[in-house]
Amino acid sequence: MEHNGFIQEQKTLEGDLNSETSHRNSVDYLMNWFRKQSIFVLAYGTGCGAIEMPPTFTSRYDAERLGIRGAATPRQADVIIVSGYCSYKTLRRIIRTYEQMSNPKYVLALGSCTVNGGMYWDSYNTIKKLEDYLPVDMYVNGCMPRPESILEGFIALQKEIGAGKATAWQKYEDNYEFYRKNQEAVLGKKVEPAYDTDWYLYDGGHNV
Amino acid sequence: MFNKIKSHFATDDIEVKREDLYKVTIKRDRLFELITMLRNEFDYKTLNAITCTDWIEEGHFALSYMLTTLDRKHTFMVQTMINRENASMKTLSHACKQAQIMERDLHEMYGIDFIGNKNLKELSLENWVHTPPLRREFDTLEFVNNTLTFREGREDNVDTKVEMKRLRALKKAAKKAKEDAKAKELEDGK
Repeated sequence: MEHNGFIQEQKTLEGDLNSETSHRNSVDYLMNWFRKQSIFVLAYGTGCGAIEMPPTFTSRYDAERLGIRGAATPRQADVIIVSGYCSYKTLRRIIRTYEQMSNPKYVLALGSCTVNGGMYWDSYNTIKKLEDYLPVDMYVNGCMPRPESILEGFIALQKEIGAGKATAWQKYEDNYEFYRKNQEAVLGKKVEPAYDTDWYLYDGGHNV
Repeated sequence: MFNKIKSHFATDDIEVKREDLYKVTIKRDRLFELITMLRNEFDYKTLNAITCTDWIEEGHFALSYMLTTLDRKHTFMVQTMINRENASMKTLSHACKQAQIMERDLHEMYGIDFIGNKNLKELSLENWVHTPPLRREFDTLEFVNNTLTFREGREDNVDTKVEMKRLRALKKAAKKAKEDAKAKELEDGK
């Protein structure tokens, strides 16, 4: 019989070395595992989907058993939920909030409005595709999605985080010009403050 | 009350729209006089709403001031016409404080300038540079198509009407084939 106590443990941490994720080391694996077990969701709701969030987080559906709980400020939050239609005025606030969140951060988009405008498809004041303006990790469709669907979306997001695939925040930094251009197309030139990944080193990106 | 309004303002244009709704149309220079009279001499104290109707064919806006009694059971609608081009109106916010935000809303959505209103900043649209969106010359669909992008449909997306027709025909054919087979079977059995 093979004697492989420590090696077995190492293997468990590293996963299958022949799999797609074998390049990741055990620290990455552990970090992702920790992240996926404790998701702090920003207490912020837009549109009608915000009404589905209280039952998700309270005793009936009890999202906290999955490690999903609320966070009061954007600086402490991991996930922002864009719950439903998103007007220009709201989008400006969402972008501001998203940029304040610390990495790694995830966006969960609820409802058909964020997918393709939904019933507001011909509204002059509502954006149609959220992913043009913010990087979306997970869409939950439905109008509105029930708490079960929201939980399912969260579990799918947790799987992505665990596998190290939820890297939309990196996409936002890499393609910042693309997102900024789209944001300015609907919001005008006044989207402040300028996003800077090293914002804490400078004066909000103004005196770089 | 009707007689008093008729004699005082020389108008015959009073309608009884409903049991609980009267409507009077009046020229804009005597509008505030009438509103003041309704508020002071009669029970129509509350300004419920200021609404605007866009009569683009006639070239004017109809501004309606809805005045409600204190027991909330009766409403008087005072309407006046203003020109669509460079639309402007005197403010009512000195008499009714709630008129301030109603006028701000109308300014945003129709571009009506309320002279004397201290704050006409945009309410829900920010940095809006196009035509005010509720004016009828503003083409919403064209605006949406020009400024926003839609997600492309699925590759297997089909026209619902055509698809329903096709499915119905298929169903009909299948049913007919089944009936034919049954009839044939019966014949063979005989």
